[in-house]
Amino acid sequence: MSRVLVPCHVKGSVALQVGDVRTSQGRPGVLVIDVTFPSVAPFELQEITFKNYYTAFLSIRVRQYTSAHTPAKWVTCLRDYCLMPDPHSEEGAQEYVSLFKHQSPSVTFPKWLSHPVPCEQPALLREGLPDPSRVSSEVQQMWALTEMIRASHTSARIGRFDVDGCYDLNLLSYT
Amino acid sequence: MLQEESDLSLIIAQIVQKLKGSNLYSQLERQAWASLQRPEIKLESLKEDIKEFFKISGWEKKLQNAVYSELSVFPLPSHPAAPPEHLKEPLVYMRKAQGSWEKRILKSLNSMCTELSIPLARKRPVGEQKELLNKWNEMGTDEPDLSLFRPVYAPKDFLEVLINLRNPNYENGDSLSFRTHLGLIQVPLKVKDIPELKECFVELGLNIGQLGIDDSTQVPPELFENEHVRIGQKVLAEQDSAAAQQYIRQGSPTALRAELWALILNISSQPEDVLYYEQLKTNVIQHDLLVDSLIYKDVKLTASNDDYYFVFEDYLYQVLLCFSRDTSVLSHFAFNSASPPKSYIRGKLGLEEYAVFYPPNGVIPFHGFSMYVAPLCFLYHEPSKLYQIFREMYVRFFFRLHSISSHPSGIVSLCLLFETLLQTYLPQLFYHLREIGAQPLRISFKWMVRAFSGYLATDQLLLLWDRILGYNSLEILAVLAAAVFAFRAVNLMEVTSLAAAENLAAHSEQFCTAPLFPELYRVQIPCTAELRQKEECSLLDSKSHSTEQRS
Repeated sequence: MSRVLVPCHVKGSVALQVGDVRTSQGRPGVLVIDVTFPSVAPFELQEITFKNYYTAFLSIRVRQYTSAHTPAKWVTCLRDYCLMPDPHSEEGAQEYVSLFKHQSPSVTFPKWLSHPVPCEQPALLREGLPDPSRVSSEVQQMWALTEMIRASHTSARIGRFDVDGCYDLNLLSYT
Repeated sequence: MLQEESDLSLIIAQIVQKLKGSNLYSQLERQAWASLQRPEIKLESLKEDIKEFFKISGWEKKLQNAVYSELSVFPLPSHPAAPPEHLKEPLVYMRKAQGSWEKRILKSLNSMCTELSIPLARKRPVGEQKELLNKWNEMGTDEPDLSLFRPVYAPKDFLEVLINLRNPNYENGDSLSFRTHLGLIQVPLKVKDIPELKECFVELGLNIGQLGIDDSTQVPPELFENEHVRIGQKVLAEQDSAAAQQYIRQGSPTALRAELWALILNISSQPEDVLYYEQLKTNVIQHDLLVDSLIYKDVKLTASNDDYYFVFEDYLYQVLLCFSRDTSVLSHFAFNSASPPKSYIRGKLGLEEYAVFYPPNGVIPFHGFSMYVAPLCFLYHEPSKLYQIFREMYVRFFFRLHSISSHPSGIVSLCLLFETLLQTYLPQLFYHLREIGAQPLRISFKWMVRAFSGYLATDQLLLLWDRILGYNSLEILAVLAAAVFAFRAVNLMEVTSLAAAENLAAHSEQFCTAPLFPELYRVQIPCTAELRQKEECSLLDSKSHSTEQRS
């Protein structure tokens, strides 16, 4: 099953705040980002990827259309998912995050399985090791990728720091 | 497919990828081919028989050590959407700060070039090459005129940069509040507190034997030392990196240290390695770099003036000059927030085919850099082995001490850990020192940047570096720095100036590192109320506490 990027429109964030928004004293702790999908055809959302910027907890709600006759419902898929274990420190503050949809028989309430925060140590060696044939196919993929990179890399001269025997330099470059 | 499983596959794939290019891979291939001659290898069960052969002959262990080494050094694969700079350093403002700092260094080096009219690099004329080759083992006798050269920067300059680091997204108000950092470091990195340190450094607990304390002359060797040495010998016989790393947390016996470090760092001197070192030596002979003069100057200013290390002066040149030419060091920049400086061949400015890194290894030495190598000279006397060990220590640990990053072992985290420990557990001392204008970090920064080299007696320093290897972390440097202050707390409370505080704290050589670790833990013990009573006493009644320590 191939996966494609779904075109979406991400609106600017809106602060949820009680009272006068203009006062600088009360800084809102909750922001809402609306994401709309312009394409009309229904799709199955597999993965949401984003880069965090100092958001500590994330909740995701989706408005689902179940059938033509019933009105669309708001469903909470994720509640207070922790992106920053300690919101007062930098852990997880600028990390890339992926949230996945776990295959589940229930259609109306999708279960979400989240990607472990990259700074955590993944639980190595759970029950048994991964399937060797899958690992070897991954290795082959990586090998192909490395070959591609190596081919396009211009300055990969292993061991040699000079250019055709010449290392006559003027000044250091700032770019 | 669950995410954790695919993560593991990815890690395995990456490690296999890395090892495929190594000597070990070709050796394993050769061994596998050669094993076909053996009678126990049967065609029907070829795969299993070869695997069994590898296990018995010790090759599987070598492979395990190599995998373990990869896991220790290289960070876990990051998110597929993350660009390469994210792996170097995830926080954008830190990357920017590192970039600005590097630009300043480059400008400084360029202006030195122009002022002195000395090229960054030049090919040596044949006569000069011959001369250098003859002098290779006694470069220390050379007395070149280095008066015009100055170090590119000193730890002090670097500290100023770290003090000015700010997270643009961090609001802690203009007025002094409980949220304002009392120390010099103002970025909110996550650092371990004492309960977390205790958990992490569990082998340094009071109830576990340590070399450096429990092998002193008053303690009968049957209690700890003999058994510990025996286990060390066994670990070496097994040639198991992971076991060695675990073992060395309690310190290494002097006789076993060189081998243990080589095992942990996965360094075995193969003919290829000696050849590689000889190639680097040839590069030194052929090309003269401006950086060489910086290295000379640094060695003359630091190691040559040190009672412990001046005898190794020649070794230091042999290592550091070769280090500057080693392009294999460039690979560590993938996970170092720093980037190698770039230059162009004369007359080819802007043409990418003529772009090179300068120096070839991308590392510009600063004042005190040679002190990273000096202690290793006590352990290794063969230049190529000494070189390999230093290089591995640099790409695993030392680079973090002079680049701006959010890594838990990075210098910024170490500074913050030091300040936080001191503020939390010795608040009176911290406040007092701050009041007299002697911010503790200004005193301890240079200790941490140099990993205490030159500030501790060598036997103590090597015990400290045992723990760096054992825990694969530099956090112990911050803990030791805080412990030094805790140890000197009584006397430090009485000083009235930064100079006096520096002077007092600088006489660190008079005590052992190992007892200092339990010292800091003694400040807080999570226990019953009864014990809590006792520890409060020891904080207030520091006099009896320190006399207890001295006996």
